[in-house]
Amino acid sequence: MSYLEYNVKTVPTGLRKVLFLNWALFLLLAAVAGVGFMMLYSVAGGSFSPWAEPQMKRFGMGVAAMFFVAFVPIWFWRNMAALAFSLSILLLLLVEFFGAVGMGAQRWIDLGFMRLQPSELTKITLVMILAAYYDWLDVKRVSRPLFVLIPLGLILLPTFMVLRQPDLGTALLLVVGGATVMFAAGVHWLYFAVVAAIGVGLVTGVFMSRDTPWQLLKDYQYRRIDTFLDPSTDPLGAGYHITQSKIALGSGGWSGRGFMQGTQSRLNFLPEKHTDFIFTTLAEEFGFVGAFSLLVLYALIILFCIASALQNKDRFSSLLILGISTTFFLFFALNMSMVMGLAPVVGVPLPLVSYGGSAMLVLMVAFGLIQSAHIHRPRGR
Amino acid sequence: MIRTPLRPLARILEARAKGENPDAIERENLRLRHEQMRDQSRSRAEGRLLILGVLFFCAYAAVGARMGVLAASEPHEPRAAASGAAITAQRADITDRNGRILATNLATHSLYAQPPMMIDKERAAKALVAIFPDLKEEKLLEQFTGKRKFLWIKKKISPEQMQLVHDIGDPGLLFGPREMRLYPNGRLAAHVLGGFGFGREGVHSAEVIGTAGVEKAFDDYLRDPANGGQALRLSLDLSVQAATRRVLYGGMKLMNAKGATAVMMDAHTGEIITLVSLPDFDPNDRPRPLLEGDQSDSPLFNRAVQGVYELGSTFKIFTAAQAIELGLANANTLVDADAPMKWGKHKIREFQNKNYGPLLSVTDVIVKSSNVGTAKMALQIGAQRQQDFLRELGFFEATPVELVEAPGAKPLLPQRWADITTITASYGHGLSASPLHLATAYASLLNGGTKVKPTLLAGGRPATGERVVSEQTSAASRDMLRAVVSRGTASFGDVPGYSVGGKTGTADKPKPRGGYYKDKVIATFASVFPTDDPKYVLVVTLDEPEETSGAKPRRTAGWTAVPVAAEIIRRTAPLLGLRPEIEPQPGFGVTLTGN
Repeated sequence: MSYLEYNVKTVPTGLRKVLFLNWALFLLLAAVAGVGFMMLYSVAGGSFSPWAEPQMKRFGMGVAAMFFVAFVPIWFWRNMAALAFSLSILLLLLVEFFGAVGMGAQRWIDLGFMRLQPSELTKITLVMILAAYYDWLDVKRVSRPLFVLIPLGLILLPTFMVLRQPDLGTALLLVVGGATVMFAAGVHWLYFAVVAAIGVGLVTGVFMSRDTPWQLLKDYQYRRIDTFLDPSTDPLGAGYHITQSKIALGSGGWSGRGFMQGTQSRLNFLPEKHTDFIFTTLAEEFGFVGAFSLLVLYALIILFCIASALQNKDRFSSLLILGISTTFFLFFALNMSMVMGLAPVVGVPLPLVSYGGSAMLVLMVAFGLIQSAHIHRPRGR
Repeated sequence: MIRTPLRPLARILEARAKGENPDAIERENLRLRHEQMRDQSRSRAEGRLLILGVLFFCAYAAVGARMGVLAASEPHEPRAAASGAAITAQRADITDRNGRILATNLATHSLYAQPPMMIDKERAAKALVAIFPDLKEEKLLEQFTGKRKFLWIKKKISPEQMQLVHDIGDPGLLFGPREMRLYPNGRLAAHVLGGFGFGREGVHSAEVIGTAGVEKAFDDYLRDPANGGQALRLSLDLSVQAATRRVLYGGMKLMNAKGATAVMMDAHTGEIITLVSLPDFDPNDRPRPLLEGDQSDSPLFNRAVQGVYELGSTFKIFTAAQAIELGLANANTLVDADAPMKWGKHKIREFQNKNYGPLLSVTDVIVKSSNVGTAKMALQIGAQRQQDFLRELGFFEATPVELVEAPGAKPLLPQRWADITTITASYGHGLSASPLHLATAYASLLNGGTKVKPTLLAGGRPATGERVVSEQTSAASRDMLRAVVSRGTASFGDVPGYSVGGKTGTADKPKPRGGYYKDKVIATFASVFPTDDPKYVLVVTLDEPEETSGAKPRRTAGWTAVPVAAEIIRRTAPLLGLRPEIEPQPGFGVTLTGN
């Protein structure tokens, strides 16, 4: 049971909602997106096409979507959680059958005006349904095995479907994002310990199964792991991204080469320079100072989200904010560590900065949810 | 958890008594319980949040720290991608004694493929075969479509070929600069130079390493960047080498020999002016070693250094010189050369069963090449002193010349040195040595008696160290050798104006399974010129020569090796800057090797 019912009256209504928007958070988002425009402009060699302009349009659409979502009361979204989750599972199934094959991986459905990547959507809807579940569930029952199995199933179902596509990065985000919601909801820590143990066992199993007929991952995934462990072994093949981006980061130094002066990324040394590896452009052109500033921007976003979650006495809202911000955090933490050679290259974009349609839109909708939870938080007392 | 009833009866009754609404109490109880539950879950959630926060912070710290480390790092190309970067490609040139290039480097390109980047593999394979006919189209296509990400197609290509490959226009066909070794003089001095191969190969360069000859012997020096690319100057004289090779090649053909070698050495410094071994090869395209058969028939075989032969009568001068040095005889002492000579169950005969009689002067022993006379002198000298002298002259060790092949070519010595060994060794049988050994020994004996060390490096100084014989003995030896040419077995060796002296040697070739061939010989002429002021020593050895201008095939050195050596001296002495003592008359001394 939620407290909302008691406090609805104190929630702002109508246009007054604009005043209660978490404006600081919005400005931070806009700043990060602005960095993205700048980088895309630079990567294209000082041109708004082909990346910066569509990205700006999409950000505009995203902002509109965010406002729309933000002004709809959070309890409506809570009620929609199950529906949204089912829809995203359905879309994942559709991808399985009708998806376009891009970069060797089946990931999106062509909607005509944009390409929808259901796995992006799933990241948010999974957090939504888990938050709604724990909002519904009596606190006392949280750690009972049966009630732990249900969210576990909710997490693993889309995870396996995403893994089949195959998209290791998103699968990882789903599992860790879902687990964070469960953790914050107060599931007994022993469950996590068990899962962690199983995870370690699985990793060992995956490595043991290599080169056997029942090999668990695809060859290229193994190679990515190898490359992660020692990128220099294959600098022209699988390790190419990492070595090149490390060069870019190194050549940036402390203060960078200056805007539009990056060579490594602009001279086509880096494939995917406008998507997953855009961070290298920033690091090369603005150096450690620029890269660290972006990190600080991201940290502030997370900080504002957590503060908002702490303020919020509604269980669904706080869990939702936490889940979304964790997912967001994982996004850029994975991307940055991937670019810097701390994690395997799993194909996670840098949120709000990387060029990409559905990722941006879905993220803005997610922040709309956070805003909605913020605006419609229980007040008084 | 202790359950508190929502409506404690006592309180409700009490409230009723006071006229209050019991529902208010109910609500209050509910609220209290909710608050209690909420606080509980909140405190737990906050604890959890703290853990999450710490985890986040750790991740931030890791990413930030990594950022700092990378920003502080020097940007450098990945090593494996530019594996050639660490390879020192510059190799010093090799020149002759006058600075003329014998070996240098040529910048070419290597061609390699990265199949994942290729667009039209079939077309590329077809086009490549059109450019390089030695490639197989099916094999190329198989390699391109296989799992390989990288493969060499050609290690060295010309600019024209490179342009043609460029024109294919496939981004998966790539070029890397590559230095290769070039021997502009081709076969000249092939055995001295040796050859090169590629060591570690990278896309951006490849290591050029020496595989034989001085290239290998001086590999470290040639590759050492500390030398600043200073050329390695050899003692060879390119002009003399060229003339010698040309004459020797003609002589080898004329004498129907299967192999020939000539070594010319500066008698005072030990510098090798010429070293030719035939058949030879082009070091730019070094043939593979023979997989079967006799390695000594391979063109790679350096007969002058690696070939150890019984050098026959050329050794007689050592016996005579030692006898003189020891005071046992002088040039005119008479020696009993009555043939055949019996020693135990052995009979020592002369060539063609001649008999030079009981009274033969030491000079005539050499001039007529009497085995018996030499044997008698050797017996007087004794086994020990003979061995000491031969050791002094370098016949017991491999030559110390700067070729990798040299240490492997040890002279073959008799196991026991019985008296019969002393006898046979005195005229050059029973022990085998290389032509270079012989040249070194002749130089030491005839230059005035100072021991020289053979060398291929220019800039040698006249040897001043150990003596092998006295000045007088050396002069007497030269006089005897001069007599061999002027009136003895090497009369074809006279080159007017240059006062050639020398000793012939014809040794039957040993059969692989013991015994000697009757019709296969090693013919050697070891010479010195000019005898009155010894400057150079020349050793010419022919393998299985047969001079067929007469009724019967003639194989002796006097008919085969000597005229070849004479022609070499005639050609090279002016190149060496020697002034003839008399004006040579035109048409004089036409020899078998004349053009």
